[in-house]
This record gives sequence, structure tokens and C-alpha cells, in this order.
Amino acid sequence: MIAGGFAAGIFGSLLGLGGGILIVPLLTLGFGLPLREAVGVSLVSVIITSSASASVYLERHVADLRLGMTLELFTAMGALVGGLVAFLISEQVLAGLFAGLLVTTAMTMARRREAPSAAPTPLVPVEGAPTAGPAPRPAPVVVHRLGLGIVGALFAGLVSALLGVGGGIVKVPVMHVVMGVPLRMATATSNLMIGITASASAIIYLNRGGIDPLVAGPTGLGVFLGATLGSRTIHRIDVRYLRVLFIVVLLFTAWQMAGRAFR
Amino acid sequence: MSRRPGVQDLDLAIARLLALGTYLSVGLLAVGVVLMAASGISPLDGNAPAFELGRIPADVVALRPVGFLWLGLIAAIATPLVRVMASLVGYVRGGERRMAFIAAAIIVVISIAVVLATRGER
Repeated sequence: MIAGGFAAGIFGSLLGLGGGILIVPLLTLGFGLPLREAVGVSLVSVIITSSASASVYLERHVADLRLGMTLELFTAMGALVGGLVAFLISEQVLAGLFAGLLVTTAMTMARRREAPSAAPTPLVPVEGAPTAGPAPRPAPVVVHRLGLGIVGALFAGLVSALLGVGGGIVKVPVMHVVMGVPLRMATATSNLMIGITASASAIIYLNRGGIDPLVAGPTGLGVFLGATLGSRTIHRIDVRYLRVLFIVVLLFTAWQMAGRAFR
Repeated sequence: MSRRPGVQDLDLAIARLLALGTYLSVGLLAVGVVLMAASGISPLDGNAPAFELGRIPADVVALRPVGFLWLGLIAAIATPLVRVMASLVGYVRGGERRMAFIAAAIIVVISIAVVLATRGER
């Protein structure tokens, strides 16, 4: 389980994904856990990786704390509703929704162009990297269409709580395309927001028996170690072929999840 | 989003807080996992212990893995919440009323989650 979490962490880090999209299928399809329990464990794992990477993003002034807090008020509201709804709907429906999320993520990855500004910031400072340590403070960001951003944030919170993912697949496009936030800052700010979003629903999962500590401990530890190693090696690895392989894995996993939905 | 000189160090303070919370939670989880391995407990046994806050101190004192695991999970979940509380203090000190209000509103939403969670049936 530690090895599985490690793999999820390292792949997620190398490909700029949150761990949740990998942890939930790993625990359900690989270890036979109920989907809702896997979601609870995944939420804790994404909180750990979010806190770790957000500390680096803030130190380097890549993430915008004020923008993040403004939007996370609404992701937390969405997550609160999602955390309650998750215990009311069937595992089949959750599996169907997750299959849809996997296909959407695979399509997004397939369309992604190589852009230096889109490269994820390492989870931990890379040794010898010129950007290690506090960076010069960037110019303030002017955001547009805050109302649409709020609607997107509410939806992202709902998705996060229902499926145990960070919700970056919703938040990053909303911030970047709708609100005009630079992509690198949108990615970093989305990561910062994951912590409080996932916490809102994790509290509900925790109190309703949706988190098994014997599973969450090894998985969370593995994800943290994997994400740390991934962020240290990302500059040495050509992730293009890895991405193609990963798209195939995501589509195969979506097929397996769809099978659970229609069982 | 504008920045005021009075809260320019807030980002760095929050960054350190998040790092501290991360290492604390990961450290506690690591102790729990080591104790799990030493006790021969498998995560796949299917005997998920129920969450009882009052039992955690006794479990930790007795070096039972579940006590450290619960503590680590609580630390992980609480880290972003502590970040928001620290931000609230920073914004109040810096005179940023709007951001202070937003931080307070987030705390209210999380408090509602806690209330709803503890009232819900397991």
C-alpha cells in the first residue's frame, strides 16, 4: 500500500496531477476497498501533498494567497455539500462519475501542449535550482469575471468531495481561461486551495467512518514520499512518453470503473 | 489581488506553517506505519478502527499504531484550517478587512462541517 501510494505520488507529481485521480482507482480496483472509503483516504492524501507543495509555492510567491482564499471559501462550501451528498448516493453512481472524471482527465492530458509556464512547480525545492528560496514578489494579478470563478469554485469543491480529488481539473481552467490568471499561478493557487477544500469534506468522512487509518496512514505516507521524489526528478525526465502511457492507463481504469458502475 | 506592506510577510509565515504541519503529520503517520509493521497489522484485514477522539491519548501512550495514525490524520486535516486561522490574524493585524472577513467566513463553513459531521449517523 505504501508502494502503491508512492507510485501514485511520483506519477502525479511528474505529470502535474493531484494524487486523488490515481489513489481512488488504486484502492478500489487494486486493493478492493469500497469506493467511498477510498475517497476518504484519497482526501487525506491530497491534503498532505497540497500542504507540502503550497508551502513552496507561497515561499516563492507563485501562489496568490488572497485569490486562493477568496475562491476557497466557495470550494469549501461545495465540498461541504459534496461530503454530505456522497453518503446519500450509491457506489455505482460514484463509480460512474469517477469513470467520467478519468476520461475527462485523459482528454485534457492528450490536448495539453508543452509550455514552460505550465510546468508544475516542484513539491520541494530542487537542490541547486536558482529559484530555491524566496523569489521576487510578482506584480499583483488583476482577475476578471469573479462571479463565474465563484460558480466554478463551488463546482470544483463538489467534485473534490464526491470523488476524492483535488479538483484542479476544474479550478485551473476556470482561473486561467475565465478569470485571466496566468497558468502557472492558477496551478499553484489551485494547489493551495485543495487543502481547505479537502479538509471540509474530510471532516465529514472522518466522523462518518469513511476514513480507515490503517489504510490512510501507509497510503498518505507513500504519496508524500513519491511526490517528493517526483518533484526532485521532474527536471531530469522527459514526461512526454510517460504522459502517453498514462493516458492509456487512465482510459483503461475508466473502463474498469465504468464496469463497477454498471455491475 | 493587491498586497499591503503590513502583510507582506504573511505568505512566508503561512508557508512555514504549512511545512511544519506537513512534517508533523507525515512524521506521526510514519511512526504509526512503523508500529503497524512491528505489530504485524495489515491494512487489508478489514478491521477499520472507529474514530474516537477520547481514545487517542491512551493509544499513543500505549504505543498502539492507531493512536499515531489518527493523530497524523488529524494533523493533516487541521493544517489547512490552522493556515486559515493564521491568515485571519495576519489580515486583522494588517487592516485588510475584506480578507479578514473571507478568512472568518471560511472558518464558519468548516465549523458547519464539523457540526454536521458530529451530528450525522455513522
